[in-house]
Amino acid sequence: MSARRDQVVVTGAGVLSPLGYARAPLFEGLLEGRSGLRPVEGFDTRGLALPRVGELNGDGPEQFLEGRSLRPLDRTGRLAAAAAELVLADSGFRAYYGSDEAESLPAGLVLGTMYGSVRTISEFDRRALTAGPQYTKPFDFANSVINAAAGQAAIWHGLAEINATVAGGTTAGLAALAHAADLLRIGRASALVAGGAEELCFESCWSFSRAGLLAREPEGPGAGTPFHAHRNGFLPGEGAALLMLETVTAARSRGAEILGHLTGSGSSFDPSRGQDGERSATAVRRAILAALKDAGREPADVDGLSTSASGSVAVDRAEALGIAAALGRHAAELPVTAVKGSLGEGLGASGAFQTLALLEAMSAGVLPGIRGLDEPEPELPFRLAGSSAHEGRFRCGLVTSLSWDGHACALVVEGPGEEARS
Amino acid sequence: MSSCIVVTGLGVVSSLGSDVEQLWSSLLEGRSGISEVESFDTSAYRVHRGGEVRDFQPERYLRHLDPGSMGRASQMAVAAALSAVADAGLRSGGPHDPDPERVGVVMGTTSGEPREVERFNDLLVAEELDRLGPELATRYPNHVIAGQVAAELDLCGPNAMIPTACAAGNYALAYALDTLRCGRADVMLAGGADAFSRITYTGFARLGAIAPERCQPFDRNRQGMIPGEGAAVLVLETEEQARRRGARIYAEVAGYGLSCDAHHMTAAHPEGAGAARALEGALASSGVAAEQIDYVSAHGTGTPTNDKLETMALKRVFGDHATRVPVSSVKSMLGHTMGAASAIEALVCCLAIRDGAVPPTANFEEPDPECDLDIVPNEAREVPVSVAMSNAYAFGGNNASVLFRECVS
Repeated sequence: MSARRDQVVVTGAGVLSPLGYARAPLFEGLLEGRSGLRPVEGFDTRGLALPRVGELNGDGPEQFLEGRSLRPLDRTGRLAAAAAELVLADSGFRAYYGSDEAESLPAGLVLGTMYGSVRTISEFDRRALTAGPQYTKPFDFANSVINAAAGQAAIWHGLAEINATVAGGTTAGLAALAHAADLLRIGRASALVAGGAEELCFESCWSFSRAGLLAREPEGPGAGTPFHAHRNGFLPGEGAALLMLETVTAARSRGAEILGHLTGSGSSFDPSRGQDGERSATAVRRAILAALKDAGREPADVDGLSTSASGSVAVDRAEALGIAAALGRHAAELPVTAVKGSLGEGLGASGAFQTLALLEAMSAGVLPGIRGLDEPEPELPFRLAGSSAHEGRFRCGLVTSLSWDGHACALVVEGPGEEARS
Repeated sequence: MSSCIVVTGLGVVSSLGSDVEQLWSSLLEGRSGISEVESFDTSAYRVHRGGEVRDFQPERYLRHLDPGSMGRASQMAVAAALSAVADAGLRSGGPHDPDPERVGVVMGTTSGEPREVERFNDLLVAEELDRLGPELATRYPNHVIAGQVAAELDLCGPNAMIPTACAAGNYALAYALDTLRCGRADVMLAGGADAFSRITYTGFARLGAIAPERCQPFDRNRQGMIPGEGAAVLVLETEEQARRRGARIYAEVAGYGLSCDAHHMTAAHPEGAGAARALEGALASSGVAAEQIDYVSAHGTGTPTNDKLETMALKRVFGDHATRVPVSSVKSMLGHTMGAASAIEALVCCLAIRDGAVPPTANFEEPDPECDLDIVPNEAREVPVSVAMSNAYAFGGNNASVLFRECVS
């Protein structure tokens, strides 16, 4: 990287997941192989037959957002604002830079999304259709724009620096982390809250169902299980995960605890948009090789994998083949996890969940297995893939993501004690 | 320090023509792209005018993808991208053509493909949803526009959407600049696209923000914005590569400033503080002093608040220079094309630098003491432009200013 100036570190995380509302319960749930998937409760399915979904439990994001009216925020905005609340606390950033009453904090926000404001924009339009345009709600229109959640989180917390929303299919959360890391490295910011947020809603679930992307109903063995021999689609999920990213200089100057380093990223695109599995695999390979080069690492340095596999037949396979193409025979010996087996397909939020799982594994010395993976697809290049956790010392992890319509992204994550090489 | 990043190709779809030179001459002549809305029935509204694109035929552009497989914003984006690539001479088949693996796409948008939601809702309300195919999954998600561009052009480089509402075009340019400077691609197609939609029109009508007849930025009696549509794409690459392949260089993208008001979703900060920080960031990152700015392409929506606050921000950062520098808003002619707006205005800055001419702010009648800028009223002006600033502000409190500079070898 010609423009590199500073290393990027992770100093905290804010999590709202189907397995719990902090990084500890999320990681413990993943380690124990618990499932956050259950029948849908949070919205009217209008008769749509849905498999289990990764829905947040009843005490939603509102419990973390006190003292002000929540009326202007739609659900995605609340998810983003609540995750930001948690990450600003977990990282000690708010405690260091200001009280709860502070006007603004010296940080920006980079938020990944895939369906963004689809529920609100749909409800706004339906109200115009059924009641008349004069009866629509201005609050709904404000939240109809795709960047509404990022805007609402910035307003709630006074995040007055760069405020970017990034879309890249199911890689969006990872792409947001990668973009934020670039902005930090080239000196455009010293602290960025980055990750993704996505809500479950009728509109997106209907579209997945119509496009044949969901696990078939009724669910058989392997439904929604990454890399499973009998998988036939994903189970949709929701949530938010935000990491506090800072330059190492900024983090050290405030004495922050460093959870890990983001040392490299890469992305690529398959112009067949998933129609040609080989081209999708090639996009994954290129993204990984670019990320390793960016980090100054070799394939042999990688000691753990956090993949985006979700139970989709073709996408899981293309991701695995792309990883094998990038890492060679080394891929078969690597411990591999896939959080979507426990959380469902969290779309724009997934990449941040995946990254967090690897960071926690580095700290705990154990990488979660893949929930429900009792029978891996035999042709896949992962000898160690299964439901049991892997103990070991993880120093250089690789997070990969492939979207069903072409986006591929990879991130190199290194432990807190590792010094980035270049 | 890294090489300069330059603009070598322009492409556009607009209500004043889908050819760059046609749009440019129309803007210089002060023509209007505003007309009665035809794409949906406005009888339930108090306003009826918009900046719809009338003559656009996507099938005349697309060579690989079926226009029927994508939404309208994607169609316009793909067409603009094909025009920009042709303008840049990128697909000449020559030895200096860039590797498609090193060509990326980043597009901005406000609402993406809202017409897909409208069709979904029309059928849902009519209880005929079973007539709809998978379009809400294949044509709607927030990333699809950039994906369609890359699919049509078979590009494998970094691909992203930056949907930061009406500042999205400038955010996309900033993303492209960083992607190139970080060495992640050799060429980036960057721009913005938004389709005229019932949803957007309803929202701005509900806010009382739409002017009944004309958009009159900076005029004392301005009555609001007028929604529009369109797409623009710019080809960005390193100066070194552009010179190697003998490409024409419009301008350098010298720097940018981004900020967030963190104040209100739809109302700007009452003192324009965020907008001022974006201007300062663009100057600082470009190493340019305010006095060097020769032209400002204003956000200039024509709403009472925006134009007043943008004036305050310019004065705060530019000092006395704010009242000397020509400032104009092409939204007076095109309406507000949402996520496409700052991409189209980036194109305006490039052409102003090329031709030494700046487009007027049309429909100007009465000066506003709160907008006491040189707004180039009604008639284009010939003036040498070496450095141009383009402003964009958005819902969510997003502010983005991008600085363009003449590139002399």
